[in-house]
Parts: sequence; C-alpha cells; structure tokens
Amino acid sequence: MKNKKDTAVNEENISFERSFKRLEEILVKLENDIEDYSLEEIIKHYQEGLKLLKICRSKLSEAELVIEKISTEQDN
Amino acid sequence: MQEPVTISEFTREVKLHFEAKFNFVNVIGEISNFKHHSSGHFYFTLKDDKAQVSANMWSSKNQLLRFTPSNGMKVIVKGRVTVYESKGTYQIDVFEMQPAGEGELQVAFEKLKQKLFAEGMFDVIHKKPLPDFPERVGIITSETGAALQDFIRVTNKRYPLVKLYLFNASMQGRGAAQSISSSIKKANKFFASDQSSLDLIILARGGGSIEDLWCFNEEIVAREIFRSGLPVVSAVGHEIDFTISDFVADLRAPTPSAAAEMIFPDILELKKRLNVYAEDLKGITGEKFNRVKKILNNISTNYYFNKPMDILNEYKLRIDDIDKGISDCLKSKLLKLKARLDSNEKLLNSLGPEMVLKRGYTIITKKDKIINSKKLLKDRDKVGITFFDGDVEAVIKDEGTNYKIDF
Repeated sequence: MKNKKDTAVNEENISFERSFKRLEEILVKLENDIEDYSLEEIIKHYQEGLKLLKICRSKLSEAELVIEKISTEQDN
Repeated sequence: MQEPVTISEFTREVKLHFEAKFNFVNVIGEISNFKHHSSGHFYFTLKDDKAQVSANMWSSKNQLLRFTPSNGMKVIVKGRVTVYESKGTYQIDVFEMQPAGEGELQVAFEKLKQKLFAEGMFDVIHKKPLPDFPERVGIITSETGAALQDFIRVTNKRYPLVKLYLFNASMQGRGAAQSISSSIKKANKFFASDQSSLDLIILARGGGSIEDLWCFNEEIVAREIFRSGLPVVSAVGHEIDFTISDFVADLRAPTPSAAAEMIFPDILELKKRLNVYAEDLKGITGEKFNRVKKILNNISTNYYFNKPMDILNEYKLRIDDIDKGISDCLKSKLLKLKARLDSNEKLLNSLGPEMVLKRGYTIITKKDKIINSKKLLKDRDKVGITFFDGDVEAVIKDEGTNYKIDF
C-alpha cells in the first residue's frame, strides 16, 4: 500500500501548494482505495485532511501581497 | 600656375567646403557593415544599389533610438558630413535615424522570426511548464509604468499569496533590450532570503507603437528568454501586438493584467474548492464508516454468528441439569447418613451408663478404677460413687461378709 509519495506532512511551514496538493492526493486515495485501507488508516487520512484544510484556509485568508524591489543597474 | 599646397592644407580646404556645404543632410539608404563599438558608438555603411557612404552615430545620439539598427534595414538618417583629415575620408555624422517605414521594421521582425524559428527556438518542446501555485514571481518592467500597476491590481485581487520581486528595467528605446536581457539574467540568479529561487519571470509592458515595443523584437532579448532556466511569460503590448518575445517565451499573455489571470489561480475559486474538498473528505469517510457500522450490525444479528451462543446456552442448561442431579444425589446420601447417625446415637445412648444410672444403679470407683467385684475392696478403702447426677466420696466399713459403706 505504502509508496514514497505517501508521506504525511508535519511541518508547520508547509507551502500552500504542498498542503493543497497533499489534500487532493488524500482525497483521491480515499476515493479510489478506501476499501484497501484499515479503519485506522482512514481515520489517519481523515485527520490529516482536516489539518491540511485548516492550513489552506488560513493561508488564503491571511494572504497579503508582498512586493520587493530588486536593485538593478537601471536604478543607478 | 599656383604654388603646390600641402596635403594638410588641401584637406583642410576640402573639409571646410564640404562641411559648410553639407552641414545638414537627409538621406535614405540601407544599412550594411553595422558595428556597435564597445564605446557605444555605431559605425556603419549606408548604401543603395550604386553607391555607398560611411556613417557613424555617437552613443550620445544613438541612445535615443527606439530600435537597434541592423544590416539590411532601410533607414532615413538626418546628419551632417564630416571629413576625417588624417585619412582623407568623409562620412555622415548621424543625429537621427528612423526606419524607412513601418514596413522596414516589419521586414526586420519577419527576418528575425524566420531565423529563430529555423533554429527551433519557438518549439513546443522547449516550453517550460508553469507552476500551479507560483510563490515567488519576478516581474521585469518599468517601475513607473502602468503595466506594473495593472499587474499588481489583478494579482492582489486574484492571488495575494504570491511574493513579487520587481526588476526595474527600461522598456522602451535603445538600451531597453540590453536592460531587459540583463534583468532576465539577474532574475535567474536571484535567490530570496530563504535561499529559494524564483518560480517564474514576467516581462510586462503596456501597449505602444511597433517602435515602442521594438526591444522585444531584438535578438538579444529573444536569446536571453530562450536561455532562461526559469519559465518566462511575455506580457507585452496590447492584445494584438505580437513580438518575438511572445514566440520564444514559455507563455504569451495578451496584456500584463491578462498575464496575472493566466499564471495565478483565483483565490475565490480556491476557497470554493476547499469547501468542496471538506465535504468530500467528510462524505467519503462518513459513508465508509456508516457502511462498516451496518455490516457490523448485520453480523451481530446474523443467525450463524449467534449460533455459538445457542450452543453455549445449551451446554449451560446441561450443566445446570447435571449440577442438579449431583446435588440431589448428595442430598439423599446425606439424609441416609444422618439417619444412621441418629440411630447410632440412640444405640450409644442405650449402651452408655447414663440410662442405667438413672434407673438407680451407681458406679463405684477406687483410685479412678471401676470396682465390679467385692473382692477388690477392703476395710477403710476410699471409693467414689457415681450417680446419674453427680459423684460422692465414701469409705468402706468391713463388717464380716458385708461391707458397710460410710459416707
């Protein structure tokens, strides 16, 4: 069942992209392979999914555009 | 016959006449032998099918050009004639240069396009994929231009998660091509404070004439875009304007604001999708758990699953039966024993001395030994007499054949 990509994410500093894609990955797995999972695994995936949902939502609601100017020879 | 003059004198004379006569010329011709010297000056030849003339354009003047001249381009130049005395040559010192018509730039454009196309620089296999969720985006544009404001406005509305890195570059006129290509180079080497590189680069510029946009049709820009390790989005001009940059870039956006819409996901859409995902997550797992619950219920109420209980119950009944049998048996045995004990007790009682004593007999003992014969006694013997209700002590008085007992 387990492959290399099936690694749960733990870091708090995870990017939006990674959390969003991991969430999609979990949903696809649950949708396709739910019969292959033990109830314990399903609960584990469910909880990770909830955590990722929370991360994604807070990143979207807290987002604020940042613009940084990089000095180029034009500035001289 | 005049006296001969020195070459210097003669040339000085020519120079004075020439330069006075041609202090303003306006000529049309085709560029050839074009050289862009490291000092910044242009040296080239202007020609038509029958004649040619050398020309130069100093860097102080050519900086104002909106395009880079190239061999074969037909141009109209304004300038003056100068004589180079030490070589005895003359040339046109150019103040102004224009393409001989829009058609000229169009020809240059087509020529470069064909050349780069033939090299495979527009091939789809070279197109780099763009990230789904860009985190760090480099924007090469003029910091004072409307293109930057347009791009920021749309990005802020659509995907404020991104971090923009502004590389200020001149977007028009001569030097723009150099400025843009060095910015592309710089953006490729740039690392954010967390050491991560950019996800993509955008070239952004608002609409303008073909001359205004000419820098995006220059070979150095095209080659730098092609060389870029990071995906490059060309967002130049307005809708219908196509530049060489657009062909080489990994993505062409019709306008800078369209570029923001093309490269960033929409935050509202993402929020909606997260809601759907939340429902899916609960739905899929909830459904599974309900199914498992139902299966468990079915199993627990299933006849075959409950059969072991029936068997157990049966054994339980049998054990109870046996238990009862055993206790019944024991009971009757005990009763019999009790009856036997009772009769034995009676027997014992009847055999024991008590009943006899009650009837009036006594037991005489001497020194704790029962005396059952007259012969065992003599005068003055101390004896004990046991009655049914207690003992007394007595002394024997021997008066011939009979003993008289004195108490």
